[in-house]
Amino acid sequence: MAKITDKTREEVKKTVYEFFADECEIDIATLSDDTNVIKDIEGDSLMFLELLEIFKKKYGLDIELKTVGKYVVKHPAETIGAIINMTMLIIEHENGISNLD
Amino acid sequence: MSEKNHKVLVTGLGIISALGLDLAENWANLCAGKSGIREITLFDASKLQTRIAAQVSGSFEEYAKEYCKKRISHQMTRVTRFCYVCALDAVARSGIDFDAFDRSRCGVILGAVTSGNSTAEQGTTAKNRIIKGMSNSMSAWISMHFGLEGPNFVVNTACASSAYAMSLAHDLIASGRADLVIAGGADSTINYEEIEGFNELYALSTFNEDPVRASRPFSAERDGFVIGEGAGIVILESEKSAIRRKADVYAEFAGYALTSEAYNIMSPKKDGEGMAKTMRLALGNSGTSPEDIDYINAHGTSTTLNDKYETMAIREVFGSRAGSIPVSSVKSMIGHTIGAAGAIEAAITSMSVRNDMVAPTMNLERRDPELDLDFVPEKARRHVIRNAISNSFAFGGHNATIVLRKYTAQD
Repeated sequence: MAKITDKTREEVKKTVYEFFADECEIDIATLSDDTNVIKDIEGDSLMFLELLEIFKKKYGLDIELKTVGKYVVKHPAETIGAIINMTMLIIEHENGISNLD
Repeated sequence: MSEKNHKVLVTGLGIISALGLDLAENWANLCAGKSGIREITLFDASKLQTRIAAQVSGSFEEYAKEYCKKRISHQMTRVTRFCYVCALDAVARSGIDFDAFDRSRCGVILGAVTSGNSTAEQGTTAKNRIIKGMSNSMSAWISMHFGLEGPNFVVNTACASSAYAMSLAHDLIASGRADLVIAGGADSTINYEEIEGFNELYALSTFNEDPVRASRPFSAERDGFVIGEGAGIVILESEKSAIRRKADVYAEFAGYALTSEAYNIMSPKKDGEGMAKTMRLALGNSGTSPEDIDYINAHGTSTTLNDKYETMAIREVFGSRAGSIPVSSVKSMIGHTIGAAGAIEAAITSMSVRNDMVAPTMNLERRDPELDLDFVPEKARRHVIRNAISNSFAFGGHNATIVLRKYTAQD
């Protein structure tokens, strides 16, 4: 369980924005927290899994995919802002995310 | 399948092969008798008996970026990209606006043996391995791109795969179940394992010292086929739909026959009996008589048995006319594109029908005295074509003959 700081949030936001801009070949300046990954920038559901792998390595997270999967089913994250928020929860709680509502 | 009542037209074509990245480039090079066969560079083939193939140009990847976003490109193999790019190009050139169609009546049916997820794939990693390995992803990507909600699938009948795909597409339209189907196929077996495998079967030419002359259909010197790769797209559309949108029509897809030889996993039936049966059935199914055929696009692989038996079968079906019908094999220039061959060759035959022009059979300096048809040697030929057939005869005994007819709009 990691301690979340403003710096962590900035790092996550930067990584997420850069990832979507690069993968979807769009100008990063056109992205916002309200950007819908599938409807607005033709992203796909696999992208969140790839991001998760990036953050697992970056922060050494103890998190199982099936745990995230169950959480995502209950709490879909469709926008870039929602993905950043979910990533923060995963970094903070790791597998403990399953105990959250 | 229900009774035929709707005329099926070819309203879009696309080809990617060793001779070019679009239809016009391929057609010009084929009519000029150019060869796309050269030394393999996709991987180190130095230890193989066969070290030549008809590879698609390395410039393809740059060209593909115009059609294929990086995100989905990473989820595709090179072969899947061939197919996707070829389909998008064919649709664009045929001026189709799917917003003007009922998308539930539009489909994608392709033929492919493999998605090409092999060791020859550059940068092979575990990433997206499953998606890349799904041959059905070829039709799925195209369907997703255009939002087509009709039938969407891939068939595998080896070297006849895309001929089968077009035939199934024909039936959907002829029976009134679909308005438009993007049909065709893509393939590449240019990788170490499959060339080694074909070498084990003595199926491939080993004429490595002169690649351009290695594929020699109907020649006395033929020593096996040369592997090619690429994609072919044939857009089939109901006449009603084509008229509504004033589509440019290449030909009528008049009919076909699919048969199984039920004989041998590799060898065709003796004396071309199964091939003759397939051609005869296709003529009957399309309401065409042997006298109506003005061009035969042969399977013409450059293997000993195929070329001998296909010649015998043509003699059997067309009798005294056989010697006066131009017969050519474009595999002499683009190699054998396996699952894509049926569609690529149907696209070429459609161009022949439309332009009254027959692409040549190259490398026929030494004729096999047993094979005595008019193989259109060395030079393309202007020739009026009312109807043409294109043959595909596959390992496993999967045979297909399709009939393409010059289209004349009725008042």
